[in-house]
Amino acid sequence: MSERILTELAESFGKLFMVGLKVSIPLTLAAFSTGLMIAFLVALVQITKIPVLKQLMRIYVWIIRGTPMIVQLFVVYFGLPNIGIRFSSFVSAWIVMSLSVGAYCSETVRAAIQSVPIGQLEACYCDGLSFWQAMIHVIVPQALRTAFPPLSNSIIGLVKDTSLAYNVALVEILATAQRIASRTYDYFWLYLEAGLIYLIFCSVLTVVQRKTEAWLERRR
Amino acid sequence: MYTLLNVNKKFGDNVVLKNVSLDVNQGDVVAILGPSGSGKTTLLRCAGYLTKADSGTLIMDDQQYDMKKISSRALRNYRRKVGFVFQTFNLYGNKTALGNVTLGLRVSQKMPKEQAEAIGKELLERVGLADRMDYYPSKLSGGQQQRVAIARALATNPEVVLFDEPTSALDPELTGEVLTVIKQLADEGRTMIVVTHEMEFARKVATRVVFMEDGEIVEENTAKEFFENPQKERTKEFIYKSTTWASVNQKDEEAAEALPQGE
Repeated sequence: MSERILTELAESFGKLFMVGLKVSIPLTLAAFSTGLMIAFLVALVQITKIPVLKQLMRIYVWIIRGTPMIVQLFVVYFGLPNIGIRFSSFVSAWIVMSLSVGAYCSETVRAAIQSVPIGQLEACYCDGLSFWQAMIHVIVPQALRTAFPPLSNSIIGLVKDTSLAYNVALVEILATAQRIASRTYDYFWLYLEAGLIYLIFCSVLTVVQRKTEAWLERRR
Repeated sequence: MYTLLNVNKKFGDNVVLKNVSLDVNQGDVVAILGPSGSGKTTLLRCAGYLTKADSGTLIMDDQQYDMKKISSRALRNYRRKVGFVFQTFNLYGNKTALGNVTLGLRVSQKMPKEQAEAIGKELLERVGLADRMDYYPSKLSGGQQQRVAIARALATNPEVVLFDEPTSALDPELTGEVLTVIKQLADEGRTMIVVTHEMEFARKVATRVVFMEDGEIVEENTAKEFFENPQKERTKEFIYKSTTWASVNQKDEEAAEALPQGE
């Protein structure tokens, strides 16, 4: 490795890292939080067995899980403009990834909610709480604890999935590496560096996951 | 002051409650006895609006509550006046003992934190758990959990407390501490309905005993009369079988020993 490449990598590292902080991570967090809300709604619809809505949710999960995310991205970013709906790269990626998280995590969340003994819900009722108050104060906090490890998996997967948004012209980590490399032709080193950036972000998340799990364990 | 009137309930084709009525006076401790499947727990759950009765009326403080259909407002008002203690405790796993007792006050009644905690602390002291307030349920024994559950049921200072087999899920050596707390409430004059299998408890603490079988009340009397002078054959048999196994068994053994050995 020449000195030139080292200097180049040192310079690009900061750029890639900042793009990660400014684009990939916000996209991950936005998509994950929206997706989690969708997952909760889908799970609650399944649990409470609301007629029609329940079937609709099944169809939604079926479609999202059965089609590649990159196809979904293309449909939203390149396809929707044909019928007059236009979203920016970031918003398109956000929509698609939220829907994906919602579909994949809904089953995790459903199982976690149902793992909380039904008697606690009855106790809430006797305490004068409504269904939603019981969910917020008692059921969901415990369900989240159960669902935490699988959900951590999902968010780590999501960090990496943000690279798919490269295909809909989002200037994220991979696209930035590509741009630099197309000037210097050091594709090998820059793509490795891009991988390293993802690895760093995912490692941080893994540590956060471990710490949080230990903290949750103390509170039960 | 607390009346259940003509309660009916079916699960599918299975009739669980047949027109059951029960009248409870202020300060009464009513023990509901009966074999498994007699409908006693279902009756209590209907009274707690945890199971919807097919028909029936609740009367409390001159107010009527339809047991099949009730507005959420009337239900909230009713639940403040009635406490419920479960067989399986059902403490909130994400709340400390104190958090369990105060949740209803804080969320349902919007009581300020300090005020709710003052009530919670006092109640936990009364059930002998002053030193366990910050413990999570998983760190408490079954008997302690049930005592927290009783403190929780008392948080709103209800006029009636319903107990659904409060000691059935406990190790035998832990039932005492729970029964002691319930007795203490009885001595304070708290109106209670207790579904139980504890004959001794019914005999010593209850003021009245109700015996149920096949969804009906077979016999109802003061505790003393019920045990000393049961009227119905079925009741006699139940009391005999439930209380005399040990002595009968012992007598049999003594008789066997007394038999002449060999021919």
